[in-house]
Amino acid sequence: MGFLTPLLLAGAAFVAVPIILHLIMRRQPQQLVFPALRFVLQRQEANRRRLQLRHWFLLALRCGLIAGLAMTLARPILKGSGLRGKEGAPLAVALVVDNSLRMQYVHQNHTRLDDALRMAKHLVKKLPENSEIAVLDRRRSGDGFTADLETARSRLEHLEYSSNPRPLDDTVIEAIKLVAQHPDHRQEVLLFSDLSLASFSEPALEGLQEALAESPDVRVYVVDVGVEQTTNASIGPLKIRRSMLRPGEPLHIEAPVKLSGTLEPPLVELHLIGDANQTVKRGQQVAPIDEAGLGQATFELANLPLGVHQGYVCLAANDPLEPDNTRYFTVEVRPPANVLLLGERSDDTLFLREALQPSLNTDQGAARFNCEVGRFSNAADIELSDFDAICLLDPPPLSDSLWQALVDYADQGAGVGIFLGNRAKPDAFNTQTAQNLLPGLLKWKSRDTTYFRPRLLAHPALAGLRDYAEEIPWSVFPVWQYWEFGELAGDAHVVARFANHQPALIERSSGMGRVLTFATALSDPLEPVGREPWNVLPTGHEPWPFVALANQLVGYLAQSEEERFDYRAGETVSIRLAPRQRVSNFVLYHPDGRSMRRTLPPGDEAILISTTDELGNYRVASGGHSRRLQRGFSVNASSEISELLRIDPKELADALSTDQVQIARTLGDVQRYVDIGRSGRELFPWAISLVALIWSAEHLLANRFYRGAP
Amino acid sequence: MSAVEKYLKPKVIRQIARLDLRAQFIVKGFMQGLHASPFHGFSVEFSEHRKYALGDNPDDIDWLVYAKTDKYYVKKFEAETNITGYLAMDLSASMAYSYEQELSKFEYCICLAAALCYLMIHQQDPVGLVTFGEKIEDSLAPKSKRQQIGNILSLLARLKPRKKTDIARSLNQLSAMLKHSSLIMLFSDLLADPEEVIAALRRLRHGGHDVILFHILDQAEIDFPFEGLVELRDPETNESVEVDADGYRADYRQAIGEFRTFYERECNQSRIDYVPLDTSMQFDRALTEYLVNRRNWG
Repeated sequence: MGFLTPLLLAGAAFVAVPIILHLIMRRQPQQLVFPALRFVLQRQEANRRRLQLRHWFLLALRCGLIAGLAMTLARPILKGSGLRGKEGAPLAVALVVDNSLRMQYVHQNHTRLDDALRMAKHLVKKLPENSEIAVLDRRRSGDGFTADLETARSRLEHLEYSSNPRPLDDTVIEAIKLVAQHPDHRQEVLLFSDLSLASFSEPALEGLQEALAESPDVRVYVVDVGVEQTTNASIGPLKIRRSMLRPGEPLHIEAPVKLSGTLEPPLVELHLIGDANQTVKRGQQVAPIDEAGLGQATFELANLPLGVHQGYVCLAANDPLEPDNTRYFTVEVRPPANVLLLGERSDDTLFLREALQPSLNTDQGAARFNCEVGRFSNAADIELSDFDAICLLDPPPLSDSLWQALVDYADQGAGVGIFLGNRAKPDAFNTQTAQNLLPGLLKWKSRDTTYFRPRLLAHPALAGLRDYAEEIPWSVFPVWQYWEFGELAGDAHVVARFANHQPALIERSSGMGRVLTFATALSDPLEPVGREPWNVLPTGHEPWPFVALANQLVGYLAQSEEERFDYRAGETVSIRLAPRQRVSNFVLYHPDGRSMRRTLPPGDEAILISTTDELGNYRVASGGHSRRLQRGFSVNASSEISELLRIDPKELADALSTDQVQIARTLGDVQRYVDIGRSGRELFPWAISLVALIWSAEHLLANRFYRGAP
Repeated sequence: MSAVEKYLKPKVIRQIARLDLRAQFIVKGFMQGLHASPFHGFSVEFSEHRKYALGDNPDDIDWLVYAKTDKYYVKKFEAETNITGYLAMDLSASMAYSYEQELSKFEYCICLAAALCYLMIHQQDPVGLVTFGEKIEDSLAPKSKRQQIGNILSLLARLKPRKKTDIARSLNQLSAMLKHSSLIMLFSDLLADPEEVIAALRRLRHGGHDVILFHILDQAEIDFPFEGLVELRDPETNESVEVDADGYRADYRQAIGEFRTFYERECNQSRIDYVPLDTSMQFDRALTEYLVNRRNWG
């Protein structure tokens, strides 16, 4: 039992007034002559006692009336917040609103966020003016306490969905720490959430529990605005076989569909955005759904022209949760990269050319590389700048002028691959000009039998192998000879090693270009004339690892490796520019049509974009006809937004296992919990009823006593 | 206005006149055929004959007259008293009490006494007056002359009920004064020790006197109509007490009821006529009812 305004209890001192009046200003009774007094006197004693009792009773009622009134005005409460000494303290309240896209779930024509904001605004209205209030959402770190209640109301008013929400528990922990900064205040955190299981994972609960244990004065009220029985259809992250297409290569998209609740198999549509931004439906399909509610729609589009293509896959029908019904995609159709393969003889280039541009496949026109073969002897006559990459296969000693031409070529942003072999001579390769490209001085030919064994496939030159790293049997491709290097140049670094830890693949940058040196040959036939082969990488039992490796390495050199076009909201997007592409400024087109002009610092090889909160397809364009840049990327929501499974409120309460947390379902619950927690259960209605009762009794008794008095 | 006239106000006279008519009707008309007088012990003597009228008791037909005149005559009787009446008036201060009533108890008694006096004088019965407080204060010797009523009223009008009272002692004194059997009509509120009063009444009765006890109380003394907190003062003893009237009403009514019941029971045992009256009752009607009842007993 406590009081909200205990000072008003002092009013109880006025009980002295009726006592004084009773003692010194007693009201005189009506005086009457009455001859038959003897009959009155017969029962005088009983009467006197009764009268006295009534007098005292009346006095007690009057005292009780004043004391009751004082107590009522002091606003009695049944159970305080338990924070002793804080009953009259001001409030420090943090409102945490889950504004993830999942809160767009519509129930009874209201989204979850609508409900949460409605309750939050209602509660803010009830806060005393001197309260410290903070409004936190999942978009970004909070700005601390707002200046006043009006600002808080305004922030609630303008709260929007966040497509890139940070973890809810982080937000709540931040709120707990924020209110705990005011130890002299009553500290409350009001969390408005749909109680999604995704937000309350075990680690999240543990984190919350720790934060609560550190701040024992903080009370957390979880306001459950979720829906018990949900129905939803969603499209998961799209699986695009290749997002960097070659002319003629079909676009293959798989759209996983997930249903929860009782919904019919949905109609899935594929839309492509045309040149003039008009949307064209290019396919539709009823996705068959299995018993677990999972299904998949598959689309294939052929003959996409060169350039950037954007579109989206969506569900034709509406459902309560809209944002997970659409997935955006961006693909790019690029011309094949021109690659010059230089060899001493035609045999030298055979394996690599077949690996990069299979002769059986050329008719299809979907080859990634357009290979040309040349000889070292007439390399000086070849216009190197026509090629995106040049591969030197088992190079013999080269003239300084050719080395210099290659250096200049690489500096311009092209790629040079040096696949050392039997013809290399340390003297000829350790010249100053050659060392501008080579990673270090050639020491000797090592005859240690080993094999190529790339461990970490993090480097972009090998990243494409990551998906089947375990399947590639590198050990069945022995390497009998390889070049060992002396000290590597400062800007060289080892991309991959042999099994005996000797460097196998070394990268060195040259200007804007890339130079890869492979320490063993990739052109040796199985049985070379007059010597042992250096390795069987191109001629081994399994040809595909070589094909994959060759494509990766040459793709990296030609800077035509697979690029990423699909990002999650909030991620920083990196658009790599072509080596010889000069972009000083560009325009970023947002999905809603807004455009933003940006300037790119000179020397930057990639455009970095961090304003990716909006879901949809973005385009990046740069002016000029000759060096026109047309790129794009897609931003999709995290698949977490479709996780509508809820944590049982009881489980949540049990998991936090603390009396600092209350879970409310309705506004009434919130109000009651908050009132009890903040100020206890107000007994005002009861107290005022009691006062009214005492007042009535007093009035009745007094009237009875003094009725007819003059 | 003289004291006599005060009691001969038109309203009172009207009441008395009406009482007279009623008394006459009772005595001379209605009660005639019953051969009974309302006053027990009266000797009834033949007065005159009158023609038989429908409704007369055929037993009253004088057959001798019929034999002589061949007409029906009935015998008419007139009471002739052989008993002396005394009006004994209580002069205690409490008799002056009136609460929201037109007449005080004393004035009510005077009206009642006047009516009885009138009736008795009309029957040529001698009527005397005795007033008492703590002892007998004044007395008028009984006479049956018509001016006796004026004498009695003028004496009563002079008196003020402001004395203390000792009813028992006064009655004993009266008992000693009377030599012949008399009809004693006692008018009092009896606010004294009832045991002593009853003892004195028994002594009177033992002395061969006929006693009619008119117990007059103010209506307020019966109903206790006060409300709220009141301080009540006894006019005789000046003693006062503060009571919550509402809470006390039931107790009081019970006490006064027991008081009257006590008198009624004791009087019945002693063959004393006990007439409980309160000042709100029309005294002529009250008197008529009493007289009718008394005749019925007879």
